[in-house]
Amino acid sequence: MMEFIKKPFGYEPVLTKEDLRTAGKKKGPRAGDWKRTLLSIWQLVDEQRGLLITVFLMVIISSVAGLLGPFLIGRMIDEFVIPKEFQRMPPFIALLIGVYIVYAVTLFLQNYWMVGIAQTVVYKMRTGAFGHLLKLPISYFDKSQHGQIMSRLTNDIDTVSTTLNSSFIQVFSSILTLAGTIMVMLYLSPILTLITMIVIPLMFTAMRWITKRTGKLFKAQQAVLGDLNGMIEETISGQSIVKAFSREEHVKREFYEKSRQLRNVGFWALVYSGYIPKVFNFLNNVSFAIIAGIGGIFAYQGWVTIGTIVVFAEYARQFTRPLNELANQINTVLSAIAGAERVFAIMDEKVEEDEGELPANYQIRGEVEFRNVSFKYESEDKTDTVQNLNFHVQPGQTVALVGPTGAGKTTTMMLIARFYDANQGEVLIDGINIRDYKRETLRRQMAFVLQDPFLFEATVRENIRYGRLDATDEEVVEAAKKANAHDFIMKLPYGYDTVLKADGSEISQGQKQLLAIARAFVANPAILLLDEATSSIDTVTEMKIQEALEELMKGRTSFVIAHRLNTVRHADLVLVLKEGRIAEAGSQQELIKKNGIYANMLKQSKGAAPL
Amino acid sequence: MKAVLSYLKPYKWFAIIALGFMLVELAAELVQPLIIAKIIDNGVVSKDFHVISTWGCALIGIALVSFSSGIANTYFSSHAAQSFAFELRNALFSKIQSFSMATFLKYPASGLITRLTNDVQQVQSVLFMSLRIMLRAPLSVVLSLMMAFFVNAKMATILLIGTPILAALLLLIVKKGTRLFGQVQSSLDRLNRTLQESLQAIYLVKAFMRNSYEMDKFHRVAEDLKMDTMKALRIMELMMPSMAFVLNVSLLFVIWYGAREVGMNQAQVGELVAVVNYALRITGYFGMFAFILNGFSRAKASSERMAEILVVEEGLEKDVARSRKAEAMPEDKGALRFEKVSFVYPNTTKPVLQDISFEVKKGEKLAIMGATGSGKSTLLSLIPRFYEPTRGEIFVGGRNIREWPLKELRGMIGYVPQKSLLFTGSIEDNVKWGKPDAAHDEVVVAAKMAQIHDTIVQFPEQYKTKVGQKGVNLSGGQKQRLSIARALIRKPQILILDDSTSALDVKTEAALWDALKGTDATMLVVTQKIHTAKEADRILLLEEGKMAAMGTHEELMKNSGLYRQIARTQEEKVGEE
Repeated sequence: MMEFIKKPFGYEPVLTKEDLRTAGKKKGPRAGDWKRTLLSIWQLVDEQRGLLITVFLMVIISSVAGLLGPFLIGRMIDEFVIPKEFQRMPPFIALLIGVYIVYAVTLFLQNYWMVGIAQTVVYKMRTGAFGHLLKLPISYFDKSQHGQIMSRLTNDIDTVSTTLNSSFIQVFSSILTLAGTIMVMLYLSPILTLITMIVIPLMFTAMRWITKRTGKLFKAQQAVLGDLNGMIEETISGQSIVKAFSREEHVKREFYEKSRQLRNVGFWALVYSGYIPKVFNFLNNVSFAIIAGIGGIFAYQGWVTIGTIVVFAEYARQFTRPLNELANQINTVLSAIAGAERVFAIMDEKVEEDEGELPANYQIRGEVEFRNVSFKYESEDKTDTVQNLNFHVQPGQTVALVGPTGAGKTTTMMLIARFYDANQGEVLIDGINIRDYKRETLRRQMAFVLQDPFLFEATVRENIRYGRLDATDEEVVEAAKKANAHDFIMKLPYGYDTVLKADGSEISQGQKQLLAIARAFVANPAILLLDEATSSIDTVTEMKIQEALEELMKGRTSFVIAHRLNTVRHADLVLVLKEGRIAEAGSQQELIKKNGIYANMLKQSKGAAPL
Repeated sequence: MKAVLSYLKPYKWFAIIALGFMLVELAAELVQPLIIAKIIDNGVVSKDFHVISTWGCALIGIALVSFSSGIANTYFSSHAAQSFAFELRNALFSKIQSFSMATFLKYPASGLITRLTNDVQQVQSVLFMSLRIMLRAPLSVVLSLMMAFFVNAKMATILLIGTPILAALLLLIVKKGTRLFGQVQSSLDRLNRTLQESLQAIYLVKAFMRNSYEMDKFHRVAEDLKMDTMKALRIMELMMPSMAFVLNVSLLFVIWYGAREVGMNQAQVGELVAVVNYALRITGYFGMFAFILNGFSRAKASSERMAEILVVEEGLEKDVARSRKAEAMPEDKGALRFEKVSFVYPNTTKPVLQDISFEVKKGEKLAIMGATGSGKSTLLSLIPRFYEPTRGEIFVGGRNIREWPLKELRGMIGYVPQKSLLFTGSIEDNVKWGKPDAAHDEVVVAAKMAQIHDTIVQFPEQYKTKVGQKGVNLSGGQKQRLSIARALIRKPQILILDDSTSALDVKTEAALWDALKGTDATMLVVTQKIHTAKEADRILLLEEGKMAAMGTHEELMKNSGLYRQIARTQEEKVGEE
């Protein structure tokens, strides 16, 4: 039995003393953060500020109508019912009905409009964050879990949404009521009002004590939720591997552990935020006892009338109610701020620089030059992934990148497309540093076939058209034919209008490759980047693609990574990469003559690999 | 709703205790006005300090009682709500884990993610609110009504004339609200989906500079979510004004009727005033009432969505309960036999595999060839029972795979998918996926065999290097070799390689095949390369889901036109160099 009762009190604490100490000390910048977050939200209200003022007007009207109703009923009883002058009642009743209608209508309208304002702000916040996300450099995505980013745009924004829907109006009407009550109290007795106010510092102290904890806890809760979301997303996306390796029990355990953490943090967040109304209620009662005691002395001294104390006591009770409501709202607002901060954190990430001054319609010829280019990924801290790369490619030439896996072939491609910026040296296209191009200009004239062909949950046609959005249907079909994808597309249940599933279960990996190639055809680029483009396509198809690609490569600068050396035999320049450096460079004939690494690789590929 | 609420059961006593504390708190609050009246009437008015101090202390004492019950209530209700959410979340997750692949694919991943986080949060927060304040509003309303009836039953009855209309209206709003909130949650699913897709395709988005295109897509789903949310919330906002209006108008009827009664001296003015006061007090609780109904509609919508998952009984992975180890045939555990297997993907009509029959002996290496889309990957995915064959049987170690306990069946198989999928964690963690209790040495052995060890030791953190969505940039070939190591560490009886060496350079691939010679696993290798196939014991050639040929390289060269054609094209290519 005791065990049972102890359970709710047995949660392991989340906040350490250290946490609370630093929370107290760093009050300055933290308060600044709140202000900044609230200001950012306020800026999103933007052109709806007029409407917001209308909402506040409605709140005032409905508050007045709400008070007017009972007041008029009192008058009616005093003036008509008690003197029994019933014949004068109907016009008064009509007036009351009018007041009730005004009350109901303004009450509805304020909420109706507020929901609109709130959801528009949420919409702007969400799309703003997403827009910003797309502008972030690739390296941001290298270090974040998809599910965690998703949680920011769904779960975190949801807390903002809930708060904006209701809290704005409640905060405003609480302040109204509070101001009204204080005015009446001041009118009745300034001294007693002052005495009532002595609980306010106590309330603030309590508030500080609580929000110091809830602020951190809400943030921690959202972070754990993000973590959980990340884990769910990854597990669900890799469900087939989970099954293949019978890891269901293991991922379940991992999930339970994260779920338990969420329960723990969530528990403390609820408990501490639950303190607020209780503390306020208590202080409310204390203040009442004080008024009664001191009021009694005052009445005894004849400083105030007894009637005043009676009325005053009632108002003092009313005084804490809006305060209590405000306190509750502060909690909601805190949880929203915790959510909003995480969303705005995305906005604080530095976007990809894009200050190229070259005109957007600049036509790229396709000359590519690397000058002493070195680069390493942020997350790896030892050696450079590519070191001191130097080469020069004329427009229309084909460059083959060969070398063992991890030699830096894909990284070199990434640098040409400016997914990453070189740490040292420069990449030039048409003799101009790629930093002087706008990304749009650069990439519009490039086409990629990436290692993992990704297809969207959309029709085949839309997937191909992704290469160039204004391509006509004919151009899409043309591109598919060139990529040898047309035949299999026509065999799909709805041809080009077949909607591909997220898991791509209807089409094979090779077919995905074909669609990705068709996508590159439709883009009609000046520079072509092919990474492993032909690796999982059967030989027959591969031959046809090879011909088509050769056709496509004509007049275009092409970079090709392929491990099967026969696919790069027409290359003008072969770059052999090894451990991030160019080990050999030259035409195929030159390299064969040289009898070095490349010649060796060629021999190996001819002698069939043993199974 | 029922399916979801059942997870509250283990915590029902905590919930009940929480409610008990709430009642204590409520009772203390009700006593307070009486004490206050006592202080004013007997203390302040008659200037009796003794009364003031005694009752003042009593007031503070009661305040303390109310405060501590309030705090206790917070602990108990937080515990009940959080634990309920915890159980619910875990139940959902383990249900999803028990889905067969076919069932799993019926639910979009984004929908499952939303259910596990957002929907659970919705229900949990409503439960918490209920345990703290829900009873308060209805109880207060009922109490006030009882008092009104006690004062004057006739007038109180008139107060209730609007109730049927109100009840009907509220029912309508809640019903509509529940449906609309359901729509809000599915809009959230779609938003999640769009988001996930953009993130997965981020390289592509950037490569083709499709920012504005992706933005447009996202704007559309965000707009839908906005509109749906607004619709749902706005319907709910009808509640409070309509409740207030109906009650206020009823109040006028009460006054009209009461005044007449007073006029005929059948009732006291005091009675009328009292009933009016109780009615006004009831109005004060409407805000809370609307809030509760709002929460209820939301929770109901989310519960229905979760129940969809929780009640699934069909399409779970069917497992035979008992391991029949005693009858196991260790000799040829690795043997595999397909008997007239045909397969059609769920919800499609075109057969992907037709009438496939073949046999592979233990330790034999079978190469599977065929054009893209000929059914190679599908064939392989039937062996670990990701999908059940539509017709025909598959035997592993002489036993029908349906009769194998899933864990044992899959435990014998090392599966390397076409697309390497790594999980967030260290390299060691990822390799150990194949065998959770493996020692570090085993990890190294597997990594060496998969030709990835040399690369790993070059990383500054070696086997502790983080990979996966949050990890370092591995090249395609490195990922492939890691996923091969993950399969090898289990020392599988059957090794399935679904074209998983496509990103390896020739030298590495050769070394890998060499290393694999050391294992006695039965191997099924999808390949496009004749020279790889040549080394296999036998080759299975698929054409549009049917077996085109099967045999050794020499046999196929003799018998199969298709195989000869493939061989010729590849020979030519090598010849040209």
